[in-house]
Amino acid sequence: MGLLSILRKLRSNPDKELRLLLLGLDNAGKTTILKSLASEDITQVTPTQGFNIKSVQSEGFKLNVWDIGGARKIRPYWRNYFENTDVLIYVVDSADIKRLEETGQELSELLLEEKLRGVPLLVYANKQDLGQAVTAAEIAEGLGLHNIKDRDWQIQSCIATEGKGVKEGLEWACKNIKRK
Amino acid sequence: MFRFKRKSTISIQHGPIVKWLLRHTTRMCELQRICYGELCGAPRTLAVEESLKLSRNANIKTLIVYLNDFADQRAITKQTKQKILKEAIVTILVTKKINPTAHPDFAKSFGKCIELIWGYRQLCVECEELRKTPYDADNPEHELLLLKLWNLLMPYEPLDARVTKQWQHIGFQGDDPKTDFRGMGILGLENLVYFAQEYPSAATHVLSHSTHPRYGYAFAIVGINLTSMALRLLRDGSAKTHIYNSSKSFPTIRAFHQLYCYLFYEFDGFWIDSKPSNMMEFSSIQEKFENSIRMALADSSTVFRINISVDNV
Repeated sequence: MGLLSILRKLRSNPDKELRLLLLGLDNAGKTTILKSLASEDITQVTPTQGFNIKSVQSEGFKLNVWDIGGARKIRPYWRNYFENTDVLIYVVDSADIKRLEETGQELSELLLEEKLRGVPLLVYANKQDLGQAVTAAEIAEGLGLHNIKDRDWQIQSCIATEGKGVKEGLEWACKNIKRK
Repeated sequence: MFRFKRKSTISIQHGPIVKWLLRHTTRMCELQRICYGELCGAPRTLAVEESLKLSRNANIKTLIVYLNDFADQRAITKQTKQKILKEAIVTILVTKKINPTAHPDFAKSFGKCIELIWGYRQLCVECEELRKTPYDADNPEHELLLLKLWNLLMPYEPLDARVTKQWQHIGFQGDDPKTDFRGMGILGLENLVYFAQEYPSAATHVLSHSTHPRYGYAFAIVGINLTSMALRLLRDGSAKTHIYNSSKSFPTIRAFHQLYCYLFYEFDGFWIDSKPSNMMEFSSIQEKFENSIRMALADSSTVFRINISVDNV
């Protein structure tokens, strides 16, 4: 599912502009997910200094996907991109067990942000192809997703480098966009 | 660092009738006219490249396939180079009925174009192989190269451990750089090491800018993004102008590293001059920088030179 087909599905939505925000620690796979959505080459990704954005437009309808760098030094700037977010997509490297706690910490801080209140949350448990990867259920447990009561959320296992699972996650996101 | 300019002549590719007329009035074929009429370096080499590409002559077509094969297998080496060049020159002399005694300069001039054109092609293959080699923390050579980068940039500050937050001082994202090279692989690291090793004062100067309280950025990460930019310029052929003008003979990986060093040093100045409000402006400033470099490369007289005096300051 590319960006255009998401756009087509969303056409029934009354809003003219939709905004998806991709966040997560560095090396989680955010840019790879963004590029695979835009059907671009994913073998030549570089660490994101700043942010990347992909936009598609069709019949006056616009979809923007924002991918913000995950390095510790950049995280303070995440908040500049919260406004008007329709879906928060949080990407986790399922094989980076050492930083599972750190990524959980960052996510819980995000969920307390006023500007992201009630925004549906999609978590990608990425890199399921790696040997050390833990399952999506274990990630959900580690992140304490089951304690979230104030918004819709979903966890989706995926392998962004192969495009596996990315589509399923976005289908959920499309269905759960709130009317403003 | 400055851009070097030379006068250039405008090259025109002629249609078959004009070519026939020129051949009979000047008694020279198109390749000869290019080699005598165009300035050496990019203007001449680009014109020869275009002329060969458009040729409908079977011998020339076979020659191109033959040379492409050598370059694609990275088989043009010090040992094979002279033999390959000689074969190429002889093919042209025979096919175009050029008398080498009457035209002694043609073979030399044309041979250099062949070296540049297929050297460039082989350089693209070599860079791609390095890019596709992922950084591997289990490979002692990769690890040594990484430590070398640290020692070159931070000679007075030893690393406390292999995995440490200190890596962030030279602009890696976390406490282990191994995951930062991503799609640029070992090429990204080799570029950084070359910059730090060959232009120590320039690299230190850039590194100190990167820690500026207001206009700071992540040195290594920006460096890896610039590897990606240099590779884009190489692949789409934009870098030909610079490489053809700057190489005395067969361009090697050194030519790519040199281009990278120029880009890094220039980007740093461009960034500071742009007075960014924070590092989130990287993509837009990088895009503007890339456009300005592409504009310069569109002029066939352009050659990027790293001003050596910088390194003595």
